[in-house]
Amino acid sequence: MRRIGRFAAAVVCVGGLALATACGSTSTSSQAHKSGSSSSAGKSGKITKVGMAYDVGGRGDQSFNDSAARGLDKAKSQYGFTVSEQSAQNGETDAIREQRLEQLAAGGYNPVIAIGYTYAPALGKVAKKYPNTEFAIVDDSTVQLKNVADLMFTEQQSSYLVGMAAALTTKTNKVGFIGGVDNALIHKFDAGFTAGVHHINPKITVIKKYLSEPPDTSGYANPTGGKNTANGMLSQGADVIYSAAGSSGTGAIQAVHAAGKGKWAIGVDSDQYQQKALAADKSSILTSALKNVDSAVYLFLKSVQDGKPLSGTQRFNLTNNGVGYATSGNFLTSAVQTKLKAAEQDIISGKITVPTTP
Amino acid sequence: MAATSLEGADAPQPRTAKAAPRAVGRLRPWQVMIALAALFVVISLARQLSGGTDLTSVGQWGGTLSFAMPIGLAGLGGLWAERAGVVNIGLEGMMVLGTFGGGYVAWHTHSAWLGLLAGIALGALGGLLHAYLTVTLGVDHIVSGVAINLLAPGFAAYLSKLAFTTPAATAQGGGQKQSPPVPGFSRITIPGLSSWLAHLDAHHWFLVSDLAGLIGGIVTGLSVITVLAVALLIGSYFVLWRTPFGLRLRSCGENPTAAESLGVNVYRYKYAAVLVSGGLAGLGGVFIAMVNSNFFLDGQTGGRGYIGLASMIFGNWRIGGLAAGAGLFGYTDSLQGRADTTSVHALLLIVAVLLIGLALWNGYRRRYLRAGIGLAIGALVVVWFTATKSLPAEFLVVTPHITTLLVMGLASQRLRMPKADGLVYRRGQGT
Repeated sequence: MRRIGRFAAAVVCVGGLALATACGSTSTSSQAHKSGSSSSAGKSGKITKVGMAYDVGGRGDQSFNDSAARGLDKAKSQYGFTVSEQSAQNGETDAIREQRLEQLAAGGYNPVIAIGYTYAPALGKVAKKYPNTEFAIVDDSTVQLKNVADLMFTEQQSSYLVGMAAALTTKTNKVGFIGGVDNALIHKFDAGFTAGVHHINPKITVIKKYLSEPPDTSGYANPTGGKNTANGMLSQGADVIYSAAGSSGTGAIQAVHAAGKGKWAIGVDSDQYQQKALAADKSSILTSALKNVDSAVYLFLKSVQDGKPLSGTQRFNLTNNGVGYATSGNFLTSAVQTKLKAAEQDIISGKITVPTTP
Repeated sequence: MAATSLEGADAPQPRTAKAAPRAVGRLRPWQVMIALAALFVVISLARQLSGGTDLTSVGQWGGTLSFAMPIGLAGLGGLWAERAGVVNIGLEGMMVLGTFGGGYVAWHTHSAWLGLLAGIALGALGGLLHAYLTVTLGVDHIVSGVAINLLAPGFAAYLSKLAFTTPAATAQGGGQKQSPPVPGFSRITIPGLSSWLAHLDAHHWFLVSDLAGLIGGIVTGLSVITVLAVALLIGSYFVLWRTPFGLRLRSCGENPTAAESLGVNVYRYKYAAVLVSGGLAGLGGVFIAMVNSNFFLDGQTGGRGYIGLASMIFGNWRIGGLAAGAGLFGYTDSLQGRADTTSVHALLLIVAVLLIGLALWNGYRRRYLRAGIGLAIGALVVVWFTATKSLPAEFLVVTPHITTLLVMGLASQRLRMPKADGLVYRRGQGT
């Protein structure tokens, strides 16, 4: 009897582990009009198989990852390649990320794109092992290799502009900032937003809250927490709340919408007004700070397709439309938009330098 | 012999000469009421002194409820299983199943209530697996529980990819890690009363506003599922402690050999308990996905199942204690998230007052060493409070965990778990 027990335990454990890791996320979808040639990318340039490793949240997060997915989809419809899409889990280790990237590279996926700075240490190792595979990483510039493109965004610039919009909209002179994780990346959003608000009126209070402390990345996928924080800020009198917190922002936007007219949410990364999951709350989304990960991903794929793969740090900013703000819903009055456009020019010309640390 | 053991199960402290006087968790109702009232006055005083108005605001109490309920439901699930002698560390996995079941079925059928049933059913399915492994096969309870915790998230992630990446789902905002928005449950707000209480709350009068905040938090936007959860907590108490079924179930956790010798079908009771346990954890998952949020999201449970288990241990395997544990965690978790630094800072003042109060009590009982240590730590906390204006951010997010640890360390030295809890029982092993 005892032996059966042990055996069953072993079976369950191994099965559980296998399922948990295997089911993690692997899917392969093929394009209907797949290009005939089966040669792998590289010298000839033609892409046949693209490996995509998303950050926590994955495709469908209504924000950061979805933006990357749009770029991928656009390239896919033009070049017709096969895609393997995988996503990170909350609380996973560098070793697991490394394994994911290596699986893609070893499986002949070329190029391989890693979405999010958490992949940096893993990518550094895998890219060295596979010098003939092209890699790209979003939001990190620590990996400098010939076959790696570091796609960097100036989030502080778009955050500055929506900060101005918040300051021009608030009636209570209190606005809120919700950050996903208390790290250097989100500090750029924070710094830009605060500077933008204070550019309009230095007397406005910015209430700030980060949902989790590194290395805990749960703050990007905690809508309950986002909702609670937004409620707290609303009861302290804030009437415009900007969240740079991945899918936690969904909760914040819902809380703002539930608070009624005159309270505004500002979205992040994608134009959240357009997102289906937020259709019920869109009348409260003032604007969104855009981070066009889609165009960066697309440009990278295009460069590989053209046989001239991007390499090294690639900056996406206001000048090349890498970042910006959304006007969907027309909630920004023309007076506000005029001011934002002027500030945009000043940032491009260098008259305004936006800080990157709060 | 057997008879005394069963009686022991009825009144948790065994009737041996060495038994402790009245163990923690066996306070009389009026003592509990006085303690709670005193705590409320302390909090009110701290709010008045520090200006941390969020300590007792309507929104804070509402937040407390929404954070505490999933933990309380998971803890209640743990209590059912452990009272029947099965350790259920798989609660977390069963909650994950609940979030997926709720999200998938509610989206598919456009009915929140069907989603609720599906979440409970999937959680109970996890419970069934655990019961089969631990009761029928005799697998170590922890091994089986851990296996379920590994299996369930993988299972949910796999199914969510299948279910929510279809064109119909993505058109409504689904993705490989989340479901499209699902319908919610109705919420109760008492029209005149809620706004009047919010108005009172805003005046910040000592005790009056605090009480208004508390009641306002309960009567504003109260989900019917919260009502259901509270009813389940109270109902579980009556079923487990006031019915023959409950007595037999608990006897399986105290002394299954004796129970079997009296004709109780131990396996059947353990199965029933673990099934209910899984169902309650599943309901906790539904609460997270459909009350606190409006979609299934991969990794949404965030370890609430483990915290539920901890709150049950904190509560000495009893309903009241478990509710207090869940409430404490919910209160601090909600408060730290509400971005009012003054209020979280004021928690230090409350901790200091409680520590000093406990020290004075120890002094009265002539336990001078404990009193001295308590006073010293209390004084240090007071110094910390007066010398700073806010808590560091790294500290802030772990406030709930630290508070729970502190209280457990202070109050939980006399915990008593069911005697045969976690032991593998084979039918007929006593003969």
